Amino acid sequence: MKGFIRVASILLVAGAVAARADTHGVPAHRPPPDEYGQVVMDNFATTSGIAAVRFDHWLHRSEYTCRVCHVDLGFAMQAGATRVREVDNRHHQYCGACHDGKEAFAVAPSGYDAESQKVCVRCHAVGERVTPRPDFYTFTEGFPKTLYGNRIDWLAAQRRGQIKLKDTVPGVTRRRRPIRHQGETVFAARDLQMPEIVFSHPKHAVWVGCELCHPAIFPVEPGADKISMQAIFEGRYCGVCHGKVSFPLDFDCRLCHTRDVY
Amino acid sequence: MNTGREDGRVVSGVTLPSLFGFARQPRPRVVGGSVGILSLRTLIGLLFCTLAGGVSAGSYFELPTQPPPAAYGNLLINRISVRNGIAPVVFPHWIHRARYTCRVCHIELGFNMAVNTTEITEKRNRHGQYCGACHNGKRSFGETDRHQCRRCHNGNRYVGEARFRKFAAGLPRTSFGNRIDWVKALHEGKIKPVRSLHPSAYKPLQFEKDLVLKAAWKMVPPAYFSHRIHDQWLGCANCHPSLFNIKRHTTRHFSMVANLNGRFCGSCHLRVAFPLDDCRRCHPKMR
Repeated sequence: MKGFIRVASILLVAGAVAARADTHGVPAHRPPPDEYGQVVMDNFATTSGIAAVRFDHWLHRSEYTCRVCHVDLGFAMQAGATRVREVDNRHHQYCGACHDGKEAFAVAPSGYDAESQKVCVRCHAVGERVTPRPDFYTFTEGFPKTLYGNRIDWLAAQRRGQIKLKDTVPGVTRRRRPIRHQGETVFAARDLQMPEIVFSHPKHAVWVGCELCHPAIFPVEPGADKISMQAIFEGRYCGVCHGKVSFPLDFDCRLCHTRDVY
Repeated sequence: MNTGREDGRVVSGVTLPSLFGFARQPRPRVVGGSVGILSLRTLIGLLFCTLAGGVSAGSYFELPTQPPPAAYGNLLINRISVRNGIAPVVFPHWIHRARYTCRVCHIELGFNMAVNTTEITEKRNRHGQYCGACHNGKRSFGETDRHQCRRCHNGNRYVGEARFRKFAAGLPRTSFGNRIDWVKALHEGKIKPVRSLHPSAYKPLQFEKDLVLKAAWKMVPPAYFSHRIHDQWLGCANCHPSLFNIKRHTTRHFSMVANLNGRFCGSCHLRVAFPLDDCRRCHPKMR
């Protein structure tokens, strides 16, 4: 009997590992609007005796394009994959590229006095009793609203000029002439009952440029990769951003599947 | 075998080995008498119900205690209320589902499916999130009126029984849950739940595939799933991809035991939608 249990458990574990798209039937957790896109970075912080970093995408994306951080500054697309160290920041890499006292508030000088601590906890805030500033609701009061993610229509806010996105970091970005891209591309859904997907290059390029998606996430050759919804749900292709920071996948299929076939 | 209900739990002495023993036995020949056939059918029916509950080896089959119809689906929300010195919030699903579909709160307003997991705070409500999206003094009574606090923060799960009885009087009946056949009530136009808070921007997908879900146990007839009926209440994103994969036959770990643990169908069909006690509603061929 013991042997049977052992074999069965090994098989179970092997099965669970083999299954990429594992479903355990647990409903998705929907974060509140002010926490959507929040990333906790804790590669070295808590082991070094300081609180983990809480990074709010909503605050940063209201001033910068995604491209600035994820291409020019070299931040990875998975939380914790960049492994930012204090020494990097102090040498104007990663966060330190902007948080230098000119573009944004500076990284605190070394030392553990009360004044430095106040600056530290602005980012090293997980578990600390700090009021995030600026306040999400005050900051986004006049922004056009939606019903998903941060409940803010970021594209409309950008279009209306309520947010002015910077696409450069002084001393880091080299300006190049923009490349002309395709307009809208229509993808047929594999399931006949699903409407077609209308993908807009112009809408995306404002935020992400070319390099964020091509060629790492999407090959440039049309049709070279078969993109499935399952892969997207697993965090590949569109799912690299959508579902984590840009609008969620678990709201309404119609956000992408817009064009009715019948 | 004893399948009487005591304290709301189905108690049965059937364990997996004994069930296998039963399954391997040659089918007893019933020679005559309708009473004999009937009792055999009743026995098999009871056994199916027990199986459907998922008898895991050595454990017993448990269904949650069903409250009275007026309190079925009533939740006490107490994430931080008592800690902050105010009574827990009572949330009656029946009042809300009569006017709004599940989708409105569980997709558009971002309420999670498990109680006390949604980070509802007074601040968020006052900024028009969660309850505050409707309870703002315009669409429904507002939370800012001082004397209105106790309408929700009263900690009484059995609130509004008289109101429920009056409400349920004109609606089609069933034997489980609220004892209201909500699907039929919707079909007959007796209730008209709103499908979106922004109906002009909402365009539902037409997806009407019916599924036949084969049971893992040979003796249990298949379950029938209608996308169309679920779509009247829900959006795709309520179930996909967190509960069920979108690709056919790829949903793993889906079993009656998981349902009973509040996963898969059990996310809704345990405490709000008709409870799992109602075997035949999904497994209609069950005798």
